[in-house]
Amino acid sequence: MAFSAHAQSSADEWAIPARDFANTRFSPLADINAGNVGSLTVSFTFSTGYLRGHEAAPIVVGGRMFIITPYPNVLFALDLRSAGAPMLWRFEPKPSASAQGVACCDVVNRGVTYADGRLFFNTLDGQTVAVDAESGRELWRVKLGNINLGESMTMAPLVVKNKVLVGNSGGEFGVRGWLTALDAQTGRQLWRAYSTGPDKDVLIGPDFKPFYESDRGRDLGVSSWPPGAWQRGGGTVWGWISYDPELNLIYYGTSNPGPWNPEQRPGDNKWTAGVFARDPDSGEARWFYQFNPHDLFDYDGVNENVLVEIPVNGTPRKVLLHPDRNGYLYVIDRASGEVISAKPFVHVNTIESVDLKSGRPNYSQSRIPQVGKVVRDICPHAGGGKDWQPSAWSPQTKLLYIPHQNLCQDEEVTPANYIAGTPYIGATVKMYPGPGGHRGALTAWDPVGSRVAWEITENFPVWSGALATAGNLVFYGTLDGWFKAVDARNGKTLWQFKAGSGIVGQPVTYRGPDGKQHIAVMAGVGGWAGGVVAGDLDTRDASAGDGWAAAVPDLPKFTSKGGTLYVFSLK
Amino acid sequence: MCSRSSEPRERATAALLSPYRAGVASVVVVMLLLCACEREERQFSAQGGSSPSAASMAPASITLSDLQPGVSTQARRGERELEVNAFSISEGQRLYEWFNCNGCHANGGGAIGPALMDDVWIYGSAPANIYATIVQGRPNGMPSFRGRIPEQQVWQIVAYVRSLSGQARKDAMPSRTDSMQVKPRQVALPREEPKSSAPPSGNQP
Amino acid sequence: MHSALQPVGPRAELIADLMLLFFAVSAVVYVIVIAFLVWAIMRARERAVQLGPAATAQADRKSKVAVGVGAALTVLTLAGLAASDFIVGAILRQPPADPLRVLVTGHQFWWEIEYDDPVPGNRLRTANELHIPVGRPVQLIFTSRDVIHSFWIPSAMGKMDLIPGRTTNEIIQVSQPGTFTGQCAEFCGFQHSKMRLTLHARPAEEFDAWRQRQLAPAREPQTQEARRGQQVFMQSSCILCHSVQGTAAAATVAPDLTHIASRRTIAAGSLPNTPSALASWVLDPQRIKPGSRMPASRLPPDDLSALVAYLTSLQ
Repeated sequence: MAFSAHAQSSADEWAIPARDFANTRFSPLADINAGNVGSLTVSFTFSTGYLRGHEAAPIVVGGRMFIITPYPNVLFALDLRSAGAPMLWRFEPKPSASAQGVACCDVVNRGVTYADGRLFFNTLDGQTVAVDAESGRELWRVKLGNINLGESMTMAPLVVKNKVLVGNSGGEFGVRGWLTALDAQTGRQLWRAYSTGPDKDVLIGPDFKPFYESDRGRDLGVSSWPPGAWQRGGGTVWGWISYDPELNLIYYGTSNPGPWNPEQRPGDNKWTAGVFARDPDSGEARWFYQFNPHDLFDYDGVNENVLVEIPVNGTPRKVLLHPDRNGYLYVIDRASGEVISAKPFVHVNTIESVDLKSGRPNYSQSRIPQVGKVVRDICPHAGGGKDWQPSAWSPQTKLLYIPHQNLCQDEEVTPANYIAGTPYIGATVKMYPGPGGHRGALTAWDPVGSRVAWEITENFPVWSGALATAGNLVFYGTLDGWFKAVDARNGKTLWQFKAGSGIVGQPVTYRGPDGKQHIAVMAGVGGWAGGVVAGDLDTRDASAGDGWAAAVPDLPKFTSKGGTLYVFSLK
Repeated sequence: MCSRSSEPRERATAALLSPYRAGVASVVVVMLLLCACEREERQFSAQGGSSPSAASMAPASITLSDLQPGVSTQARRGERELEVNAFSISEGQRLYEWFNCNGCHANGGGAIGPALMDDVWIYGSAPANIYATIVQGRPNGMPSFRGRIPEQQVWQIVAYVRSLSGQARKDAMPSRTDSMQVKPRQVALPREEPKSSAPPSGNQP
Repeated sequence: MHSALQPVGPRAELIADLMLLFFAVSAVVYVIVIAFLVWAIMRARERAVQLGPAATAQADRKSKVAVGVGAALTVLTLAGLAASDFIVGAILRQPPADPLRVLVTGHQFWWEIEYDDPVPGNRLRTANELHIPVGRPVQLIFTSRDVIHSFWIPSAMGKMDLIPGRTTNEIIQVSQPGTFTGQCAEFCGFQHSKMRLTLHARPAEEFDAWRQRQLAPAREPQTQEARRGQQVFMQSSCILCHSVQGTAAAATVAPDLTHIASRRTIAAGSLPNTPSALASWVLDPQRIKPGSRMPASRLPPDDLSALVAYLTSLQ
């Protein structure tokens, strides 16, 4: 078996969850295309045996497929060379069961990643594990998070220049967020950059040149918080990391500040709810931009940053596209951190506009949460215009395909009491469908014209990732279990398949050893949106599942728990 | 309190003269007072009657299984003094929020942790079982609050938790909420018959 | 010292003056009314026999005039009092330039006090002791977490209600250094009477120094026993409600204890801040303040003394 020595994917493979460093989730394979997708059919399935939200992307390298389950984070290797893809090995990291108590939004895992013959993934209880892709043998494991502080790990690592980049989760537990680089050979910690606290902890040095005035100053990670609050201020790094080899910069977002109740943390709460550009070698920050200074509604900044080149006023520029929780799509110059444009892609009434001069959003005064007051009609809701579910970019259509939700909420904030290892939220929310009544959508966004090219509305929030292919297709799954292929140019649904459980995973595509192009996705409802089913919540309480009970009370009628890999190919 | 009757003097005198009627009346009054006491009494210190006695509620005596080899012993129903006391339930509600129980169990509907307002009880529904669950913790994420929450407060939380599925007496349960209404009023919800069951999936939590 | 009759600031003086004015006017009116009453009784006795029908008509006229004059004087007096009250109210309501802003939150049964600052990192949280600089107006912004309370420091300001879900505010200004006591002035539950606070007015430099000291994180325990006490604190029920800046304890439902040893009293003015009082408070607060929200601890004696050693080290 031949494992390639790169951390991105070759044309036929899908080696890392986002497929490439730019996070495009675009495959050049075009065997399956708009013309023939109608005859797509199941080639094999595989049951993981676990029944929580399956959010991970299947990874395909060297004729093998690797899939990881939610807690207890079992890693399977399947042999694509044999009929029916039999299991080659399984690796059970056996994380602490107690970690389930500090996972805010289902016990998910967003993926395993491949580099140089090794597989890297995080366990819910805060360990990073390296496994030999050939044998399934453990190479090393390091304990990075402490569940007694509320830390867990759910994100998919990214390997850049022989460094495994991993971050923690726990923005709802008063965790102090960080991104850590580990030596891919040994697991030794090379650097750690915190998202709050003094500059030396955040790895802010002389090279730090943020574009906007409000991000300049000494130790803002301390002074923009009430005394000590930065120590439990969130800013966790549970989303996606992109890498630009030319500029030698990594980009990643930081989560919401804790607690949700904004009255408890006056100030801008640096460096939460924003995006960092860092040098992967030293970890030093180059620039930072805060989408949501003094975040009001749990609008994490962790969503993917898709690195593309688009014309801005006629000249091509290297930018990153970031569809934020706050419902705005940001086009940011990825060398300088300048916001080129910011336009809402869903109905937003919490932010009136983004001032490109100061970089700051203008918050609607009527929506600002206050203790003792119920604020109604907050759009988008705490899950944002879009949550973790990654979008896909097609260089052919020059459109960004954004899977997202369309939900609003009523909210009352209350003083949150910090007790390490327990939730630190201080808000009661009740969610409901946004304007139009549909709860989800797949939106094709034209970043040049800052407009919606087309949109497919869905009854349920679209909580799965998107996949774009050179066959002019976009794939995505729905919370009630439909897996769909649509025409990338006009959004016409060309093919659909009903899976055994709701889909919250990331679809991928690859050319198998049989020479055929395959599409793969895991079905298994869960995640924050599917917790109503995965966690057996009682929806008579609208606040159950942090407000999701009221958003999708009917979901149990449409789907039930599952955990199955589906692989499709042409007949 | 009962309203004072404005009967004519003669009849009142007659009532006083009739030992039978006086007896009945005083029994009724005493019973009314007693039930009011149960509902209203505020016990501030741990010493005293309102906490179930340690021996009868010892967590060591709880079982987590319906299955017992040989002849099954009757399941212990547990003592319920706190569940007729409005003060205990409302203190329990306050502590449920203070100690972030609501962060995982929401207002009974569940989130990170299982729902508490339904009829499913993985580790038992009796007060002693719930007490043990809070103090010992449970393997799939429930923290152990041993040594963190004083005994009396744990019992108050137990009373509130049981009230979520209607196990407490209706007149002792809070009839309205102080904050945004997210579910029907406690007293308007039906009592759920507790079942010792695990969630349908069997593997969580 | 606390008496509304011994005002210690310009605003309190205004209130005291107003009170004096009301008292003086009421006293004069009272004396006049009583004098007339006595006179009327005496005169009626003397003249009861002498009066005939002709005299009655004349007396009627005279009494009409007397009633008219009396009514007019009453209206004038009341209008004057109302006007003075209005003027004082208007003066008190005038927002001062550059006040120190302090947020006061009522809890059953203690006061949470937070000093506002344009730099969030310099906001200071403390409890049951309000420190202010002499001479500078201080804007107090009130709210409550549970029931309605009322904030009253008699010698320095009038009463102001603290209402859950709303904010109210009041200016306090003290012109002489000193320590003054305050009290919840709206029945708020079992321990309403033991919901007290102290006001420390001190020269600006001293106040600034105090504020800097209070902003510092808690001192690391220096002795073996205090270190053990810290461990007891972190591993018992203390940590679920209290905070000590610089440690893992950051709960906010009970008073911040970062500098507890620098306070004069504990339990919202219920006890002096001495090691023995602290020990008995920690052991069984319900004996001292039944109905307060602090539960009894069942600490063994050596844990208790270690804990007290730790708390008394938090200068």
